[in-house]
Formats: sequence, structure tokens, C-alpha cells
Amino acid sequence: MVLSSFQADMEMQPYLLLDPYLIWFFRLTGQAWLNFLLGTLVVAVLALLVGELTSFLASFLVRRHFQEVAGEAKKYQELSMEALKTGDRPAYEAANKLANDAFSKSFFMQLALSATFFWPIFFFLGWMQYRFFELEFPIPFTGYSLGYIGVFILVYIPVYILFKQVKHKLPYFIGIKRLLDIYAQPLGALTQVPAGKPVGDPGGQGSLLP
Amino acid sequence: MRNKTVLVIFFLAALAVVATLALAEPSWAGKLEEAIAQTPVGTGPGMIHPDMPKGFMGIPGAPHHFFLFYILWGIWVGWIFSSVGAFGGIMAGVGHISVFGLSDYGRSFRQTNPALGKLITDSIRTSNQYLVGLSALISSFTYYRMGRLVLPLGLCLAVGGILAGYLVPLLTVGKMAVSLYVGFFGIIVFAVAFVLFYETTPKGQEKKKAAKAAAKAFEEAHIKKSTQVSAEHAKGVQVTHWGLSKIAFTFYGQEFSFNPIWPLLGGFVINGISAFIGVGGGFLYVPFLTSVAGLPMFIVAGTSALAVLVGMVVNIFNMMVMRQVPVDFILISTELIGIAIGSVLGPVTSKKIPDIWLKRIFVVLAVYVGIGYLTKGFMGHSIFPGM
Repeated sequence: MVLSSFQADMEMQPYLLLDPYLIWFFRLTGQAWLNFLLGTLVVAVLALLVGELTSFLASFLVRRHFQEVAGEAKKYQELSMEALKTGDRPAYEAANKLANDAFSKSFFMQLALSATFFWPIFFFLGWMQYRFFELEFPIPFTGYSLGYIGVFILVYIPVYILFKQVKHKLPYFIGIKRLLDIYAQPLGALTQVPAGKPVGDPGGQGSLLP
Repeated sequence: MRNKTVLVIFFLAALAVVATLALAEPSWAGKLEEAIAQTPVGTGPGMIHPDMPKGFMGIPGAPHHFFLFYILWGIWVGWIFSSVGAFGGIMAGVGHISVFGLSDYGRSFRQTNPALGKLITDSIRTSNQYLVGLSALISSFTYYRMGRLVLPLGLCLAVGGILAGYLVPLLTVGKMAVSLYVGFFGIIVFAVAFVLFYETTPKGQEKKKAAKAAAKAFEEAHIKKSTQVSAEHAKGVQVTHWGLSKIAFTFYGQEFSFNPIWPLLGGFVINGISAFIGVGGGFLYVPFLTSVAGLPMFIVAGTSALAVLVGMVVNIFNMMVMRQVPVDFILISTELIGIAIGSVLGPVTSKKIPDIWLKRIFVVLAVYVGIGYLTKGFMGHSIFPGM
């Protein structure tokens, strides 16, 4: 499907504006498959960076409320652990129920906040849909084929993993991590059993971001 | 060890992408285009005319709304998620089914091209899943990183979830008419309405009050005492018995046990609902695990997160990559922008509106939607307007 089939609707305007710049990355070499790979890589990196930025902004805006909700879950979880240690089963069940209720609330809050990270992925996939909708790559030795979505996913995952490793060493993100770690302390404390022994992710405190 | 795993995954993924692209010739295909080509040409119901403006999924003549409308609905969904919780997923589905007119559009093809109608149904389901399920992936991953995992429990849930994630798309993709989907969606809405309603009843409220009183009493009785941590406590989760009818483990000196068939069935049903309807799933694991094994919350967080992670990966991979269900990414991205905004607004308003009144409003809404969809799905038309 070529660019000329775009509707001149308002929602297409961002794509029309970005298209000349994005498509340039798909025309860097003389090899079609390499072009597609490089272009998809650039799109994946852009989606990741924009998602990181917007999710940080949103997390920062709701940090206080999130602290309250996570703090309540932490409080009742610690109480349930204390009850377990003393063998008080009714008290454990009561505190655990309240901890689960608070956890559910924070779970859904995080779920909604996740949208701040994901929307660029779908935004850029929307552009790829119009550019590469009919493109398919048969997977060798199988009856299946990979479309632009499959290639994007396969490229995005390692980009995400790699970025996560180096993110907190990059100048801008060092500051973000410091800020988020301060506010994510209640969430991080959920990893600690009352003996002070960290569980789960012993490497660091919890974070509002993945 | 962890870095090595990451590097291996990265290398394998990169190898897979390069090999596929280098060795394969691109070929042209499109379930959607095939379906459109088989539809009668015209401007009446159940017809497609190529000169009509493109709408949903780029189909000429399909419903099409100003993008701000999608964002506004997304704000509503995000606000509900960050205020009340579970009902947000239902509203996401309502948007796709009723508000944007997609189910009526899909139904219009039942005489002229049922295959296109079923494709639209599958796209609605997958869109729901992207909107709700993918977001659950991130929050689940966060809790999975944090929480302690009960491996046998997590495995049983995951196996059940994988089975459902494979079987449900296999049995239903390309086979479900919009009406049937809407009817089943109505049943799920009723289930959520029932749970919300129970929480607003005096009995439901009493249980929570009693729990708070018991927790407070314990806290006051033990506030000055610090319990010594024994060697038993420091061990964490210890699985003591593996069996086909019973799996037992100790945690903090207390024994917990469960029959593995229950988490297997639970994982199957919960992920099956998620794969079938597109919403629900994640939030059901926590109460399910609490009632099955009475587990401490921070074990439930990690264990259920594993199940959600596995289930979502299987569902989305199956629907999108293997079954090639098309979705409208512009619709989803604009809705996600709205949900992102709503997620920030929810905390702002939550202090001003009591939780119980929010739940009461949503109970009324859920009953309205549930009855509307049940009658629309199984009787052919909704007894309530707007559905």
C-alpha cells in the first residue's frame, strides 16, 4: 500500500509529517532485507525512547498517590508476615486480605500507567501498517510467514533488553532513576521480608517503570 | 548468570530476524484484503464500495470517527482503571463493540460475507487484548521481578494458561460471529457486576471492616514486640511435597497446600476468558490464588504475574503472529494515549469521590451493559438503547 492511498484525515497528518524522515531509514543500503531491518530498528528505538519519556512523566505526576496505594499494600503485607511469624492465622488472613485489596488497586494503577509506555509502539506500528501492510517474510522450513509486526517485535525485544542494561548509565536517565527510586521506595520495600533480607530482585529498589 | 541469559536471548532474536529476512522472499498476502475482495460491491449494508472513505482497519465505508473521540474514550477507560480497577477493561470492550459501532458493522456482513464479519469480531477481541492485556504485561513484569514465586503453583497456572492461549484462538479465530461474541461479553460483564455489587453490600462491607479491625487489633497487640526471626522463617518458600493430588510448601513456619488441578483449571479458565473475550484475566489470578491456597500477598503478586506474563505472550503471539488477525493500530494508539491521560487523572479525582459510590455507579452501568449485550447477542437486538 503506497503513501498516496493515505486519507487526508486529521489523524493521518502526524504520519504524513513523519513519513519522509522515517522512510529514509528504510532506504540506506542497496539490500531490501537489510533496509527493512535497519529501518525497523530505528522505529523500535524511537518507540522505546518516546515511551520511556512519557512513562516517566506520568509516573512523576502520580507518584504521591502511587506511594499511598503501595504504602498501604506494604503496611498490610508486613502485618500479615508478622502474623505468620507469630502463628496467628486469623490475623494473618485478615491482614492478607487487606494487602491483596491494596495490591489489586496498585496493579490496576500500574496497568493504566503502562499505556504511557506502550502508545508509541502502536503509533509507529500504525505508520508501518500503511507502509508495509502487505509485506510478508515466509519463515524457512515452516508454513508460516512473518509480517511487519513480527519483525518489529523481534527487533523491539532485544532493543528493549539492551536499553535496560545501559539506560541508567546514560546522562538523562541517571537523574530519572534517582528521582523514581526515591518515590518507588514503598514498592521496593515489598521485596523485603521483615528480617531485612531482600527477595525477588535483590539488585535494587522497586521502580514504577519496568 | 542473568546477563548471560539476556545476551543469549538477544543473540537468538537477532539471528532469527536476520535469517528470516536474508533467506526469505517477501510475498504478498492479506486475510483482510481477501475478505474485502469477496464482499459484494455497493453502498448498502453488508457491502463495500472502494470509493468510500476508509475507516476501521482501512476498510472502505467502515466506521470512522475523529481521533479525539478515541482519545476521550481512552481517558474514560484509563480513569476507571486508576480509580476502581477491573471495570476499565469492560469499558475498553464496550468502546470497540458499541461506541465505535464496530459490532453493528461486523453484523451487517452476516448475509453477504460472514467471513468478514468474523474477521472483524476477531479484530475487536485482539484490540481489547492489546489495550488491556498488553498493559497488564508491564505491571505483571514489575511484580514478577519483586515477588517471591511458588514454582509449582506458577507452573500449574502457566501450563493451564498456555493450553487456553493455544486452544481458544485455534477453536474460535475466524469462527465466531459478532452476535455470539457480544452475548458472551455480556455474561462476563454480569460476572464483574456481581463482584462489584457484592463489595457494595452491607455483607461485603462488613467483611472488609472485620478484616481491618482484626488487623488493627493484631497491630496494636504486637506493636512493641519484635518477633525473633528463626531459621525457619529465613528460609522463605520451601516446597515440601510434590504430588498429583497435593503440593505442599512452608513459608514462615506455616504450611500451605493445594491440589494442582485447581491452579491448572484456574489458569486455563482465566487465560481462556482473556483469549476469548480480550479482557479480564490478570485481576482474577490474585483472588483465585488467595482462595485456593490462602497465600501471602507478595507471593501471590509474583506467582500470578508469571501466569499473566506467560498467558499474554501466548495469546498475543497466537492471535497476531500465527492467526494473523488484523488490527487497527491508529485506533489502539489513540486509545492508549487516552488511557495514559486517564491514568494520571484517576489519582487526582480518587480523593474527591468515595470508592463505594464509584462502585455503585459502575454496578448500574455494568448491569445496563450486561443486559444490553446479552439481549443483543442472543436475541438479535438490545432492549436498551445505545448498545
